[in-house]
Order: sequence, then structure tokens, then C-alpha cells
Amino acid sequence: MLATVLASVALWAVVAAACMMVSSVSVGWPATREIFQLRREVVLLSSLVGAALAAAGVTYQAILRNPLADPYLLGISSGAALFAYLWRLPAFAAVAGALALSGQAASQQAFAFLGAIVAVACVLVLSSRNGRLEPVTLLLVGVIVNALNGSIFLLVYSLVGTLPSSGGALTLLVGGIQTSLTIEQKLVATIIIAVGWIALLAISGQLNAAALQDAEAEALGVRIQRLRWLALIIASLVTASAVAISGPIGFIGLICPHLARLLVGVDQRKLLPVATALGAALLASADAASRRLAGQGLAQTLLPVGVLTSLLGGPFFLLLLFQSRRRIDLSEGRSS
Amino acid sequence: MSTLLDVFGLGFSYGTREVLRDVKLKLFAGEVVALIGPNGSGKSTLIRNLIGVLRGIGKIEWEQKPLDQWRRRELARHVAYLSQNPLWEPGQLVIDVLRLGRAPYWRLFGIESPRDAEVVLGVAERLNIVDLLDRPMDQISGGQRQMIFVGRALVQEPRAILLDEPSTFLDLRHQVELMSLLRQLAKERNVGVLMASHDLNLAATSADGLVLLDRGTVVADGKAEEVLDPELLARVYGIEMERVLREGKPPIVVPRL
Repeated sequence: MLATVLASVALWAVVAAACMMVSSVSVGWPATREIFQLRREVVLLSSLVGAALAAAGVTYQAILRNPLADPYLLGISSGAALFAYLWRLPAFAAVAGALALSGQAASQQAFAFLGAIVAVACVLVLSSRNGRLEPVTLLLVGVIVNALNGSIFLLVYSLVGTLPSSGGALTLLVGGIQTSLTIEQKLVATIIIAVGWIALLAISGQLNAAALQDAEAEALGVRIQRLRWLALIIASLVTASAVAISGPIGFIGLICPHLARLLVGVDQRKLLPVATALGAALLASADAASRRLAGQGLAQTLLPVGVLTSLLGGPFFLLLLFQSRRRIDLSEGRSS
Repeated sequence: MSTLLDVFGLGFSYGTREVLRDVKLKLFAGEVVALIGPNGSGKSTLIRNLIGVLRGIGKIEWEQKPLDQWRRRELARHVAYLSQNPLWEPGQLVIDVLRLGRAPYWRLFGIESPRDAEVVLGVAERLNIVDLLDRPMDQISGGQRQMIFVGRALVQEPRAILLDEPSTFLDLRHQVELMSLLRQLAKERNVGVLMASHDLNLAATSADGLVLLDRGTVVADGKAEEVLDPELLARVYGIEMERVLREGKPPIVVPRL
């Protein structure tokens, strides 16, 4: 396992170094210390967010037994984003204050986590029938929850107008790497994601049993219901932390687990580190690409990176959907 | 022969529907016992109670220790279970399915010991499936797959194996191969095997003892000669049965048409 983790870190480091060389106008290692620090910040931030979303995606796919699960498609990201946005409203800030949540960043994180949990609870309750989750219904409900969250967001946005700290409010709708974060915000997110990731890695071996029938998993010594809940909460916490600083960036949690599966197979103990590294590398690359596009004049402004990942992820999702439909057709004995 | 499993007065209901009533059962090390009975007689429910996935009333003891005093992981090192229709992940390799059998022995972070790898290889050699190890589960035959799942159970190094209708999806040759393998393993490794089966004759020819369930109650328990009684079977299955005696071998039964 250590070897897989080290190889994954090395993979990310190579891509991150390459991303450090991409600026809006030229390609090359940063000339001055200031530019180096600026770029290092966006590369590290995008890597952190990408890593968190990919790790959450791997986990959701395992516990929901659904290869199409992703924090974004399940509506969890948008729930977290909505609450992270609502946190900026004076009324909610007062609530956060009353709850004696110490520190601005920590209270925003708590709000985002609450949003993620509300969204995931809605999705799970609405899509389960007799205690079973129907994969396609799960995604449909996720799409609806997403749309609803987006609408509430825009409604509040138009009603309130400018919020006290309005910098990049729309980032929380589309998803992008923000450069106006406080040190505290970055630190809290990093700590939560790191601790959550280590916890996910600790249970990754047992998560392999989540693909089996519950009785089989139990007979392998895994308390499967407890494990599912634990993993669901940790993955939602990790998602919320990333979303609180970046908004709901889509499809990273869908694409990276699948790419990782092609590389190392289905063992969660390898899948989690590799998918995490791919997520970090992919989002850092997408961010570098959006910088470059803006610099080349191809885009009028700096594109939020969420736009690029969705452009990439949308077709990928359709491909997976058609593949899984074919598999279902085949397993039901129909030719396709 | 030491007693592995001792069940006494076991009852279980789904809501108000009583599925098991006052079930008594024993399993000894090194013996193969077949659990027979019509659909809905409670075979699968009984097996699920024995591994603690379902909880009823009454006494279940594994190796003289009550079931509720076993920790899940500890029980998984003593008792393996093979469901009627075991699942695997698309693209999963045979070796990964086998390795999962060591899950009860893994440390935190799923770290394996050298012994885990040794056991997996040993089982693969015993079952002659070494050349399948790197193949995906989707690309091997149903018979081979069932062998892999038996392998996963063995990798747990259990004292007892519970199988829920393991031969349902197998053709005749694979059924016979599986049964003779289970018999051999029971003798070689002194493992107790309890399997639910629909096939009375396959059960009679391959098991040391038969337990006949009817609507959740054990109505006969013993050698094939005693349990495969045409009158009893006619009552339980609701069809006329005829017994064919064979010299020096367990009898078989056929429906009277």
C-alpha cells in the first residue's frame, strides 16, 4: 500500500510541476518569487480540491455500488455550495455565531458539511425503496436536488443582491479555484480533507466488501451497515470541505475513479490513492488550461475550472451510462 | 469428533410470519451435512441465522460459545459463508476475490501479512486454479467461478463452511465435482460443511447426514436411509415419491409419475 501511495504522490508531483510552468502568457518556470508563490497557491489549491472530490467519488461508488456515483451528480456538492453561500448571509452568520463556532473558516466548513448531509439525506431517502437504492433513480434524484439547489442559490442571490463578502459568489454556483481565500480557510479545508482521506484509507480494505451482498460482507467480518454510514459521512465531509473553498466542481469524482480502475483494478486499497492523485493532477491541469485559454484570448475571462471539467465529464458520463446500459441489457439476456 | 455448531430451540419470524420454529441442529468437525426441504421451508433463513446476519430466538453456539459473544471478525475466522448467488465486481480479478477471504485477518489500512499471500496461493494450488488467478471474473465459466468462491471461503481458514445451494447454477459435472471437493475438504482439513440443497439425491450421495426442514421445523435428521422416507417426503413435498435402494450405497428417491 505504501508503494501505491508513494507512486501516486510521484504521479501528482510530476503533473503539478508541469502546471507550475503554465502561465496565462507563456510557458516556463516562474521568473520571480512572487509569481512562483502565486502559481504555487493555485496549483496546490486545485490539487487539494481535485484530490478531495476524487477520493469522495471512489468512496461513493463503492458504498452505493454505483459506478456513476459522484459527489456532484448526487447533488452533494451543490448542497454544500448552497450552504457555504448561505453562510455569508448576515442572518446565518448570526446563527453560526450563536452556535459558538469558533473561527470564520470553521463555521463555513460546518455549514457546507450541513448542506452536504442535508443533500445526501434527501437523495438517499427519496431514491430508496424498501431499503434498496435503485441506481438510476439515485442519479435522477441527484439531478433534481442539484437543480433545486442551483435555483435556491440564484433566488437568494437575486433577492439579497450583493452580499457583505461578495467576492466570487458565483464561484459557489459554477465551481472554480478562488485566489481570495484567507489562510484560515485554506488551513481548515486542508486539515479536514487530510484527516478524512486518511480515515478513508484506513477503511479502504473493508470497503472492498461493500461490493458484495450484505450477508457475504458480514461473513467476511465486516460490519457492512456501520461501514457504509461511516464512509458516507467521511466522504461527505471531505466533499463539503472542498466545495466550501471551490464551489461544486463536477465530474472529477466520476472520471478519476474510472481511470484509476483501468490502471490498478478494483481493489479499494490501491484505487483510493491512485484516484486521489489523478483527481489532484486532473484539476491542477484543468486549472492551468483555463489560465492558458484566457491568456491566449480564446476565452474572454478566466474560465471557472468547473466549466472545463464539465465539458470533459459530460461526454464521459454518457459513455459510462451507455456502457452500463449495455451491461444491464446483456445480463437480462437481450442482445444489444 | 468435536462439536462445531450446536443449535437448540431456534425460532425466527419475518414480522408476524414465522419462518423457523424450534430448530435443533448439530454440526461436527469433518462431516458434511445437507439441509434439504422445499422452497420456503427456511433453509436460507436458517443459514443466515447461523452466521448472525439474522437474529432470532433460541440458542446458537459455535465451538461452545454463544453466537452473540463472537466478534464479527473473530467469527469470520471460524465460519465461512457462501451465498446462493455470490457477487463480484465487473473487471475484478480472480486473485482479488480470493484475497478478500483474508479480510478477517487484515490489519488497519487493509495491510496484509506474508501469511495472507501464502494461504491464498496454497488454496489456489489445492483447487487447481493457479492459472486462473490473473483472469477477470467475468471471463471464466460459471463452474470455475463457483470454485473461486469456494476458494474464498477456504482462504478464511474456517472450521466450518456454510453454503446456500451452491450447485444451483452448475451443470451435472460441476455439481459432482463441487460435492466431491467439499467431501474431500471436510476430511482433509477437518472442516464441518453445512449446505442447503434442492437436489435430494446429490445430497444423499455426498453428505454424511441429512436434515429435512418443513415449514421451518426439522422433521427428520440422520442418515439418508432414515431421512429419505417416501412417506415423509410425500408429506413434505406434496408429491408421491419412490425410493430406489442401492447395494452398499445411500438410497435415492424419484418422483412417482
